[in-house]
Amino acid sequence: MEDTLLSLAHGFGIAFQPGNLWYAFIGCLVGTLVGVLPGIGPLSGISILLPVTFGLNATQAVIMLAGIYYGSQYGGSTTSILMRIPGEASSVMTCIDGNAMAKRGRAGAALCIAAVGSFTAGTFGILMLTMIAPPLASIALKFGPPEYTALLVMGLIFLAYMSSSSLVRTLLMACLGLMLGMIGIDNMTGHFRYSFDLVELGDGIGIVPVAVGLFGLGEILSTPSHKVRGEVITPKFRELLPTRAEWRAAYWPIARGSVLGFIIGIIPGSAHIISSFLSYALERRISKNPEEFGKGAVAGVAGPESANNSASTGAFVPMLALGIPTGPITAVLIGALMIHGVPAGPQLVTDHRDLFWGFVASMYVGNLMLLALNLPLVGLFVSVLRIPYGYLYPLIIMFCIVGVYEVNHSIVDVWIMLIMGALGYALRKFEFDPAPLVLGLVIAPIFEQSLRQSLIMSNGNYLIFFSRPISAGLMAVCVLLLALSALSFILKRKDWRAKLAAAEAGEP
Amino acid sequence: MILRADHVAGGFFVAIGLGVIALSHDLPRGQLSMPGAGFLPQIVAVLIVVLGASLFLRAHESPVFKSIAWDDGRHAAKIILITGAAIALYVRLGFVVTMVLMMAALLVVIERKAIPRAFLYAVCIVIGTSIVFAYLVRAPLPAGVLGYW
Repeated sequence: MEDTLLSLAHGFGIAFQPGNLWYAFIGCLVGTLVGVLPGIGPLSGISILLPVTFGLNATQAVIMLAGIYYGSQYGGSTTSILMRIPGEASSVMTCIDGNAMAKRGRAGAALCIAAVGSFTAGTFGILMLTMIAPPLASIALKFGPPEYTALLVMGLIFLAYMSSSSLVRTLLMACLGLMLGMIGIDNMTGHFRYSFDLVELGDGIGIVPVAVGLFGLGEILSTPSHKVRGEVITPKFRELLPTRAEWRAAYWPIARGSVLGFIIGIIPGSAHIISSFLSYALERRISKNPEEFGKGAVAGVAGPESANNSASTGAFVPMLALGIPTGPITAVLIGALMIHGVPAGPQLVTDHRDLFWGFVASMYVGNLMLLALNLPLVGLFVSVLRIPYGYLYPLIIMFCIVGVYEVNHSIVDVWIMLIMGALGYALRKFEFDPAPLVLGLVIAPIFEQSLRQSLIMSNGNYLIFFSRPISAGLMAVCVLLLALSALSFILKRKDWRAKLAAAEAGEP
Repeated sequence: MILRADHVAGGFFVAIGLGVIALSHDLPRGQLSMPGAGFLPQIVAVLIVVLGASLFLRAHESPVFKSIAWDDGRHAAKIILITGAAIALYVRLGFVVTMVLMMAALLVVIERKAIPRAFLYAVCIVIGTSIVFAYLVRAPLPAGVLGYW
């Protein structure tokens, strides 16, 4: 513990360097804007701005990109409360009661509760990250190829199990991602795979063109400007303070949302989205006045907003300690670290202590910055919402093209982005969630290498995954999850995931 | 038989999987004790075929294909065409010319904005962005026909 505190103090020394403070601020500001603007999620925001970090050192780059991620969770609530449009997916639940509070003249109080809840949950998440990530990384150092293979398989199955769409759909997306991730030169034998004589495909398909295409361009293609409404409720600064009764109603939902969000954040899947849904369901279930939900219940804002912020921090635990992405956003962040020559995983904690602890400390600072940014400057963000969407999306498309091109100076990458945009549009029409595709793409090289190494180690015996204690434990979890999925399928019973999907679709 | 969304989606994935298997014929599969370059791709392709087929077989649970709303399809197709043209010209014409043309085309063709207003907006945004990239980000953008810009 003492060692952790000393390391954290060292991290604060790094985080308070003027350059790092500046990039944390830029990340938080851009993240808030990304969260505020409908049509741009944190994933497209991070992907588009990835090339901007090429001129920075690795610490500044990851501080800025992570700031965009957790900043967007703060910003998403503003649009939800003031316009009833979720700025990003995890703010869907905040729309319901947040906007109802705004219509009752309590917009300022709703924004303040969302911001304080986000701050509390974010800080709780970072505290947990500080305590859990280093010991987890030291355990992960003992992992060999079979353990990594089992861990990645478990991640994929967990993702499929947690997803609100069907297991088959999620696994199909993950398989398609794995397939795309195997394009290019095979690292172990040097064979060219599926590159169609295109030299640019030799290095494989990058995560940035795929992520920007699926999430940035794909979103724009399926959002005609006439469908984006522009009615904004403008809160007055003096109305920002909640009443004593509102504070009392917010305490426990914030605490519960923080704990629930962090736990879900560690598990693979779109954690920040799932956590806000589950927190809303939990608050409604335990409330003494469940009939208030949907009409402006404070707990309906405080719980989900705290949960999604805590989950976004929780997602950094497996990313930093194990090098395993739990979702597409952490996958892009791992890609960003790799571009800067820093491997994510246990070596990050042991060999790049300045980066790791500087990053963790910057998140404490970033959370304070976001609290300071989001409340006094709410008027500024509201005015951004008044920019007509018809003028906004051509700008976003321009940044998509420039962002993707600047990564490798490859026009083939930009074509891939366009194809992925069209694919993302079609996938939405057929109700596929593209997130597992990105996850599959990122883990494909690590998965293939560790699987093949494991088989070479065991002379072709698959039992290696069941004969080593850690990998056997992980495989047991996989079997359990598959059995649970099969059981609900056989019994044709609506389990919690089906109920979540129904809630997402607005069905009773 | 009523054509449903998952008939189309499942059929598409089966075709993708079979396509990958066909493309993998020249990749060595190796042995279990020494897997080759084609080992995992073929496993994943078979999985895609199996999962796609199961989606196809359970298609009765999905909505009718005709009920999928394609009302935004025209909007999407126009954006894809204009963006595709911009990508084709990007390196040849350079950042400034291509992006001004692309943004103006999106605003005029799709958003029905007046041509002078669309061009004014596009020129201001693109020049501003190129200055940011040249002096703040210090990342070179394709110069194209306008030399430095």
